[in-house]
Amino acid sequence: MRVISKSLNILDYALSLLVRQKLKNLGVFIVFTAVIFLLASFQLFSTALKESAARILTTVPHITVQKMSAGRQIPYNVDYDELLRGIFGIATVKERVWGYYFDEKNGANYTVVGLDQHHISPRLAEVLSWGGLPQRRGDVVIAEPVQESMQLGSRERFSLFRPDLTMKSFKVVGRFSRGSSLVTDDILLMTRQDAADLFAMDQSFITDLLVDVANPTEIDTIAAKISARLPGARVITQNQIHKTYNVVFSWRSGFGSICLLTSLFAFIILSWDKASGMSPEERREMAILKVTGWQTSDIMWLRFCESSVIAFTAFVGGYSLAWLHIVFFDGVLLRPVLLGWSVIRPSFQLAPPFVLHDFLLIAAFSIIPYMVATIVPAWKSAMVRPDSVM
Amino acid sequence: MQIELNSVNKYYNRGQHNEVYALKNISFSVQEGEIVCIRGPSGSGKSTLLSIIGCLYPPTSGTAIICGRQIARLPDHFLTRHRRENIGFIFQRFNLIESLTVLENITLPLLPLGVPPAERTVRARKVMEELQIGHREKFRVNGISGGEMQRVAIGRALINNPRLLLADEPTAHLDPQLRSSFMDAMADLKKSGKTIVITSHDIQVTGHPKVDRCFTMEDGTMTAGDGI
Repeated sequence: MRVISKSLNILDYALSLLVRQKLKNLGVFIVFTAVIFLLASFQLFSTALKESAARILTTVPHITVQKMSAGRQIPYNVDYDELLRGIFGIATVKERVWGYYFDEKNGANYTVVGLDQHHISPRLAEVLSWGGLPQRRGDVVIAEPVQESMQLGSRERFSLFRPDLTMKSFKVVGRFSRGSSLVTDDILLMTRQDAADLFAMDQSFITDLLVDVANPTEIDTIAAKISARLPGARVITQNQIHKTYNVVFSWRSGFGSICLLTSLFAFIILSWDKASGMSPEERREMAILKVTGWQTSDIMWLRFCESSVIAFTAFVGGYSLAWLHIVFFDGVLLRPVLLGWSVIRPSFQLAPPFVLHDFLLIAAFSIIPYMVATIVPAWKSAMVRPDSVM
Repeated sequence: MQIELNSVNKYYNRGQHNEVYALKNISFSVQEGEIVCIRGPSGSGKSTLLSIIGCLYPPTSGTAIICGRQIARLPDHFLTRHRRENIGFIFQRFNLIESLTVLENITLPLLPLGVPPAERTVRARKVMEELQIGHREKFRVNGISGGEMQRVAIGRALINNPRLLLADEPTAHLDPQLRSSFMDAMADLKKSGKTIVITSHDIQVTGHPKVDRCFTMEDGTMTAGDGI
């Protein structure tokens, strides 16, 4: 009981010491909180992005087949009945025309997706904030950010330029809701014939063949078979797209984290320096404590308590702020870094899951180095000779 | 005997080019309930001698029995424990922690003993009552008078009910009235059986009627005094 009581007494004294030296400690606390806030924000943001990507990519076809020439994707004409004959396990096949349209007036790039009406998934209707899906030639569904970029207001009709600068008009029949997904914010969904017309492609040509497989465990096998039958084709599986997203987000967050770890390292050096440089007043106080019966170990415990209080409160504060930043402010400070610099950035609600591993990782990279950095200064302050007050 | 020193030597930086003798062959003893003064000019070794008696560090050679324990070979951990159980210190300029209250300063020695807050307060109030500073309990020590600071320093030294009280130049920065009140307080403590050792070159202290014996130090040696 005495040991617990002694530890509590020293902890109590450490708290009073922190309050008495609030100016010195506040500086360290603020910088430490800011570093943890940024580090945790990066971590939470990238985790939320990966989660979001994983969720959205479940709507992506199992296999996408594209034709390549000279290392570039080109439109092609394929008889897919012939191509896929004898490959068992295929559930559906869709032809798609897909490409980018650069809107010179507004300086924005839109993603044009053209599908046959009967191939447009009814599930897409669930993410519409208004209207329905394209039913006939000339219909288009756009994302809300595209509507804003084009400054359409309440207008339902607009025109885009074909490559020969003739105009092609569209009627907006539906809108994707903002925040519905990563992949719809710059999208124009229309019929395959309209998309081919817009890009001045032959109506029988497509850019991708989308294949869904009945048994997802056979995706790789079927992809390999398609690849063998269509030399020069790029066959992309859902898993590969998922991995690509992960690599991109991990690379960006990794780059950011390395920059922040450098700041953390600089902060640790600063803490070391600050903790090492005891003022004459502090030195005198430590000597008074020793002469009144405090052991060297008591002073070390006192210093440990001080460092722990700073480290844990800064960690809890920084992590909580990071959580608020990501969940309630959509990670506004990190969006440009982690989402890229496109004109129309994807907008969606970030909901980072609580991952114990990530939480502990940040704790390990912040609290432990700080505690280690303050151990030697603590030991030095505990070694003050008690007779130095005489 | 509360203090018994035999052939005590203390030197710093032993074996190095800057080796310094602080005490040379000191032998003397103090009985329980005595008030003893050690006088001498600055640098004569008074504070070093008091530090050894106060178990702040052991002598380099010789024997030193303080409150019944030979401290010459005790490790730092046990020296500290022996000090906090048996010895109270009063310093020149009192060495109080200005940002703490009177109560907090007085209870400082009780914290590492694991005394709970309620018990600390009870014990401190009793001491403050005896020293007539109870009304200043919640005042910061930088907001009280010199006389009150003196009594806070005495209170801190007494909170553990030590057998031995050591005072290092306690009146060096006090006016004559406070010097007199300090010695009166020491006289009261002597009545309660405390042994008191004071280093001072203040005639008002060394010549006080309640002082039993006085030793003189010069250049690390004891040159004069009763019982040498």
